[in-house]
Order: sequence, then C-alpha cells, then structure tokens
Amino acid sequence: MEIVILALVVIAALFAICSGVWVATALVGAISRNRTAQTAKGQADEKTNHPNI
Amino acid sequence: MDTVLSVGIVAAYVAVLTFVAVRARAARRFSEFSLAGRTLPLALVFGSLCATYVGPAFSITFVGKGFQSGFLFLGIGLAYAAQNILVGLLVAPRLRGLKDCHTLGDAIGQKYDRKCQIVAGIISVGLCAGFAAVMAKAGGVVLTDIFGLTSWSSVIVVVGITALYTTFGGLRASVITDAFQFSIFAILLPVTLILVLIFHFDGGAATFAKEASAATAGGLGSTSLIEIIGLVAAFLLGETLIPPYANRALASRTTRISRNGFVLAGVFSVVWFMVMIAIGVTARTIVPEGTNEDHVLLNLVKSTMPAGGYVLLLVVLVSVVMSSLDSLLNAGAVAFTQDIVKPFAKLPDETALNVGRCATIVIAAIAAAGAVKVPSIITGLLICYTIWAPAILPALIIGLWIKRPRPLAGISSMAVGTLVAVILWIILWIIFKFVYPAEIEIAPLVIIPALGAALLAYLVGHWLERNKHGA
Repeated sequence: MEIVILALVVIAALFAICSGVWVATALVGAISRNRTAQTAKGQADEKTNHPNI
Repeated sequence: MDTVLSVGIVAAYVAVLTFVAVRARAARRFSEFSLAGRTLPLALVFGSLCATYVGPAFSITFVGKGFQSGFLFLGIGLAYAAQNILVGLLVAPRLRGLKDCHTLGDAIGQKYDRKCQIVAGIISVGLCAGFAAVMAKAGGVVLTDIFGLTSWSSVIVVVGITALYTTFGGLRASVITDAFQFSIFAILLPVTLILVLIFHFDGGAATFAKEASAATAGGLGSTSLIEIIGLVAAFLLGETLIPPYANRALASRTTRISRNGFVLAGVFSVVWFMVMIAIGVTARTIVPEGTNEDHVLLNLVKSTMPAGGYVLLLVVLVSVVMSSLDSLLNAGAVAFTQDIVKPFAKLPDETALNVGRCATIVIAAIAAAGAVKVPSIITGLLICYTIWAPAILPALIIGLWIKRPRPLAGISSMAVGTLVAVILWIILWIIFKFVYPAEIEIAPLVIIPALGAALLAYLVGHWLERNKHGA
C-alpha cells in the first residue's frame, strides 16, 4: 500500500512532466509555422509590390 | 556570485519570454486580438487553460495545504477537476458552436438581448480587473523576494512586461506565452518533487505514507464538515468559465478541440494537485513544523536546492503569475470592446483593435493600482469567485441549453446574483469581524445562497416574461 501511494505520486509527477514536454513541442511547432507564414507573406508582398522583378 | 546567478537566470527567462512573445507576432485584426483567428490547436488550448488556472493558489497554497492537511485538499480539488470536465462536455462545445461570438457577453447577448450583453460585459471587465489586481500583487510579492525591490516597483515590472506583449499580440501572444510558461512550471515543479524524494527524503515509501496519513488525519480533524462542503462548492463553481477560459473555448480550432481541451485540463488538475500536495507532504520531514503555509514551498526549495535552484523556482512562480495575468488582461480588454463599446458604436475593425489595445493598458494600470489594496491573495481571489458564479453562470448555462431564453430572466439573474453576493459578503464580513470575531472563510457561505437567489430571480423573470408575451 505504501509503495502504491508513492508510485502514484511519481506517476503523477511524470505525467505532469510529459504534459509540459507535449505543450513545449506544440509551442515550438506553432512559432515555427508563424515564422514560415510570415516569410511566405513577406515574399508574396514583395512580388506584389515589384511585379516586374 | 549568487546575485550574478540570480540576475543571469531572470535575464535569460525574460529574454526567452520576449523571443516567444515576438514570434507570436502582433495581432492585425480584432478577431486575431480577441480569438487568435479561431485557430488554436489542442495542445495550446490545454496548456493555456492549465497555465491560466495554475496561479499562486494552485501552487504555493496547495503545497502549504499538503504540508498541513495532507491529501484532504486533493479530495476537495476533485470538485475543480469535475467542474472543468463538465464544462468541457456540456458547455464549451455549445459556446464554440455560436457564430461571431467573441466573449461570454456576446454569447449572452445572442441568447438574450443587447442589454444583457452590456451587463455581462460590465461584470466581466470588473471581475477581470479584480482578478488581475490579485495576480499583480502576487507577482509583486515574488519579484520583491528575488530583487528586494519595493513592492510597488515589483508590481509595475510584472504588470508592465505582461501588458506589453498582451497589448500587441492579443490572445495569440497570451496563449503562446502561456504555453511557454506552462512548460516551465509543469516540468520544473514535478522535477523538484522527484529530486527531493530521491536525495533529501529519508525513510522512503513508508515514511511518505506515514506523513501523508498523519497530515490528512490532522486536516480532517481540524476542518468541519460544513467547511468542507463550502470549499467543495467554491472549487466547483467559483472559477467556472471565467472570461479567459471562455475565450479559449471560443478560440479553439473546432468544437471537438474546445471540449477535449477542457476535459484534459480537468484531468491535469488532479495530477497537478497530487504533485503539489506530495511536495507539501515531503516538506514535513524537512521544513520546521509551524512554518506559514505560504512559505512551505519557498523554504523547502531554499533548504534542499542550490542558490540557482531557488532563483529558478522564483522565476517559475513569476511565470505562474504572469500566465494568469496576461489572460485576464486580454479577456477584460476584449469584453470591454465587444460587450461595452461595440453595442453603442459601429466600430471599423482597426478602431476595435485599437480600443482593445488601449483597454488592455487601462485594465493593467487599474490592476497595478488595485494591487496595493488587495488584502491577501487568497481573500482577493475568493471575493472574485464569490461574485462571478451567481452573477453569470445561471444566465449563461441556462441560456445555452433552453430553446427560448427570456431577456428579463437573464438580466434579473445577473443583477440579483451580483447584489446578493456583494451584500451578503459585506454583512458576513461585518459579523465575523466585529460582532462575533472568528477566522471563518466567508466565500463558501456566500456562494450557495447567492447562486440560489440568482436561480430564483431567473425563474421569476422567465415566468413573468412568458406570461406577458405568451409561450
């Protein structure tokens, strides 16, 4: 019983750490996509502004 | 050397936070400012919800509760998890299903009428400013502890940095920085627990179980049944669908993400409470008995970790505070623009965006000024919770579920709920302060009668208007 209680606490701690890692991964993905979207938009704007180039 | 390390860690944190906020990019339209373009994926909705509800109460205070009352507060905290899961299953998808809805006031306006929207907007803005003042005070306390600044200058630094990225980036910046801050504390605090268990906790599983059992028995012995019922009611209802949560439900990419985000956040709260309480239980063999509840976590880390670890913990606590504060500033600003200004004036998108940005700054200034008046962090939070549930929940939840909600029912419920909560709070405060002096938490004693009064007012309003206009 004592071991079970401590095991549950450790599992909870590991679950929380995994949640943090999951959200961090999604965050990196989200800000990378933002960067890509901004770059693409910047290039499109450039083309629109200088159609002859 | 310690000072250099402290400044280095804080500077690194501010640098990474600034980088993340800049990468979130500035909002260009009001729909980006208020709803992040309704494009949020599950992980960000989940992380942001958790980062918003894990404030000082669900971290510092819960560790203190674990130290004093063992796993008693885990049982009480289950009410909070149940609330999140129920909102996820029953309310969030319906809220997300509404078209062109930016705020709770907007949802109430769509279901009732414009007057109800304005009243809901005023309550939302007031509550967000109140909650923000409590968070500003908490942030100030932590920063004062790190740098030894005066409390007002600490408040200005915390509120200033948070207001800066929230003003320009809107909800998207708030959610993205929340995700960053969630990742920091969701990793570092459980790691702290594991390190303390491995390197500083003598006796292993048997001692842990013995300490947990002794503390829980002590907690049960010193807390009356009526107090436990009151606390369960406060955890179940107090923070339900406050404006920042509603904004995240509305900003989710799909109704499914909205539902799953709340359900997962509910499940995470159980895990989180377990970790915080376990930190408190382990502290019983390390921190001296009789330590103030709010200082248990700080004292534990101070006595078990190197100097850098202590500063890192303080940075974690600043991020706990800022992630709640930014959500409140944004939610208040969006509610002001959408529910109070827009019903009176047709605003072009760019003007609405500018009004939202100015409102963010004004609410931040009010929060910073109000921070010095907040009596204590927990009391401040409890006052806000006590007013929110009776003021908004009956009108919102019934409105989302019944076919023809009546405006008179909505407005009566909001007005009566707010008035009864405020008046009852003042009466009980006077009674327990001057007439029969006692250390009693007033919030749980107010929330249920005020909610009952709001429900009654709703039924009366509904019945009156139905009889007036016919079914």
